[in-house]
Amino acid sequence: MTPTGEADEFRAAVKAWCAQHIPPDWRQSQTDVSDDEFVSFQKWWFQELRGAGFAVPHWPSEWGGGMSVAEQIILYQELAAHDAPRLVLAFVGIHHAAATLLAAGTEEQRRRHLPAIIDGEIWVQGFSEPEAGSDLASLRTSALRDGECYRVNGQKLWASGGMHADWCLLLARTDPHAPKRKGISYFLLDMRSDGVDVRPIRNAIGNSHFCEIFLTDVKIPAANLVGAENAGWRVAQETLSAERGLTMLELAERLGHGGFRWLVEACREARLIEDASVQDRLARFETEITGLRGMCRDLVERSSAGTAGAADASIVKLFYSELLQRLTDFGVEIGGLAAHTQLTKPASSGWESGSWVLDFIGSWEWTIPGGSSEIQRSIIGERGLGLPREPAAL
Amino acid sequence: MGYESWEIHDEFRAVAGDLLAKHPDADVRMLAQAGWLGLEAPEGVGGAGATFREVAIVAEEMGRAVACGGYFGGAVLGAGTLISLQSNTFRDLLLKDLVSGAVKIAVAVSADHESFDGTAPFALSQTAGGLRLDGRSVFVPDAAGAGRLLLLANDPAGTPVIVDVASDAAGLAITEQPVVDGTRDFAAVSADDVSVAKSSVWPFDGDPGLHVQRLLDRAAVAVACDSLGVAEAMLSATVSYAGVRHQFGRPIGSFQAVKHACADMLVRISVARPLVRTAVDAVAEGGPEVSATASMAKSYACGAAVKIAGKAMQLHGGIGYTWESGIHAYLKRAALNRCLFGSPAAHRKRLAQRYFEAKQDEEQ
Repeated sequence: MTPTGEADEFRAAVKAWCAQHIPPDWRQSQTDVSDDEFVSFQKWWFQELRGAGFAVPHWPSEWGGGMSVAEQIILYQELAAHDAPRLVLAFVGIHHAAATLLAAGTEEQRRRHLPAIIDGEIWVQGFSEPEAGSDLASLRTSALRDGECYRVNGQKLWASGGMHADWCLLLARTDPHAPKRKGISYFLLDMRSDGVDVRPIRNAIGNSHFCEIFLTDVKIPAANLVGAENAGWRVAQETLSAERGLTMLELAERLGHGGFRWLVEACREARLIEDASVQDRLARFETEITGLRGMCRDLVERSSAGTAGAADASIVKLFYSELLQRLTDFGVEIGGLAAHTQLTKPASSGWESGSWVLDFIGSWEWTIPGGSSEIQRSIIGERGLGLPREPAAL
Repeated sequence: MGYESWEIHDEFRAVAGDLLAKHPDADVRMLAQAGWLGLEAPEGVGGAGATFREVAIVAEEMGRAVACGGYFGGAVLGAGTLISLQSNTFRDLLLKDLVSGAVKIAVAVSADHESFDGTAPFALSQTAGGLRLDGRSVFVPDAAGAGRLLLLANDPAGTPVIVDVASDAAGLAITEQPVVDGTRDFAAVSADDVSVAKSSVWPFDGDPGLHVQRLLDRAAVAVACDSLGVAEAMLSATVSYAGVRHQFGRPIGSFQAVKHACADMLVRISVARPLVRTAVDAVAEGGPEVSATASMAKSYACGAAVKIAGKAMQLHGGIGYTWESGIHAYLKRAALNRCLFGSPAAHRKRLAQRYFEAKQDEEQ
């Protein structure tokens, strides 16, 4: 634990940096922007953070990170408190891709990609498929060894930010005869490869952040296999939960700062702040958000100490998703018809932008992907509490 | 001292849990022998010189074991009250007797032990014949069978003080108030023209209003700890049962309806834990955030415990509804805890007062 004096000093430094570097008008300037403007703003913001040493604080120091856990917590708290833009495009790269490479990648893969990620290389996750959603392990995209390459065919779905991605974290089946979790391998796919076709899908709030990725006879060099052949499921499981602590901490802090503050503001504007039932619901939300923030700090600390429980990340993800949904729902209720006239929300904003209707509809992007709330409850019951598994169809 | 590190806390918790599992009906003597009544008392009077953190651990274990025995009146309220007073010979003697178990103590800090606005339930008046005490307080924890009562009163000048009264003092009436939760003892305490010696009127050590608020907050947080223990015990019992009870040819815990309900119990407990821990730390360290953290912990943990104990009864099926299963004791205790020292709604109302303050720019 950082001594209090050092922590205070660090917090003051982050505050000062935020005050100087976060454009005060970014919400306005990023409303109704084109895709290109969004991408260049994201890349610019990432490099700003990089300049301060804030882009990849969770990475090991030899790769450009090395910040203590206590300082990372402070950093995310302050970024949230100062309403910084969210890193949307860099997200998969700095979290999932980096965690995967650091845990299971070769030295060569790390050298090729970690510095590139800091330079702005964009990553997308190619896991889900039309027939493999909650039952991810039944994925069908095939990768067949062909000399020094794998030849890949299949279709990936719900790849966030796919059209801007340079590289893809790909799960594909390398052994069709093995039990389903034992025949999957983990690849790094260059999105410029021949046979890669990305098509955006318009989502419920009207934007096209999600993509389908069609893979037709795509060649992936065998050197881009991560971990052993057919060990991809385990690699994916380990790296998915490894990064959850910090990303959830950031989201929880954002909910606690902007999210809750705007909700109180909305109640004031609607002249409902003196209504006892409204006060009760606000205090309920504040309490739940405070509990969430505490859980996230614990998760980050326990993950870094290696003492996190098997279901801790699922508990946080489930609670956050459903809290976000309830909170934005309340925002919609309070906002009245006027809230329905907000047709856009600023690009690079969080899940709690204050455009309540879009935030509310968008909250299903939390309760469905990344393991739906139903799947999380099964994980919590089985891995967290040791309850017997559902008899599975073979 | 000596209670600082977490490993020692874990060990302390395990020892407390074991002892209470064996003796859920522990009485004051046993609590004193375990050293729990004197956790916060200075070593000079036989105490451990520890903090509210250790008091909170035992409170949680008391809930887990649905134990009774005067811990709340003695350690949470009694010791907490005595150490918030200016030192004097009589106070120090009473603290010593509390720690050793020689005297059972109860404290009345609220007129009904549900509201927490700090209004003193008793009043002292100066008469020609000396100081007289009048007033009434109901649901005083562990007052039945107590030898000494510490009553929050306004002195003739209107300043809150603690008045030390023997339970057999003339004009003092202690009437038991049986409640459905059979693990708890409450009594109504009324004082009608009770004669009080000057040496029995004890001033707080510092701002009396603040001390009274701190006492009410620590009581609320201790109840939250109790409820957290209740909730954890109920989840654990339900998970065990769901793993062995078979219906339709498989353990009921393998059905999603049951499994997901258990998952929700764990999620609620996981949210309650940091809230309770933060509040316990705040009480132990003092500071401006005590009341807000106490209200969050109290409202959330006590609400959650009722839901969890209720769900435990449901998932145990018919057996859960029997007296023999014992689940009823947890559900009743959770339901009582929820209103003791402030309902969730009342605590949230206190939290909401803060939203009126112009702009809450805590970081700026």
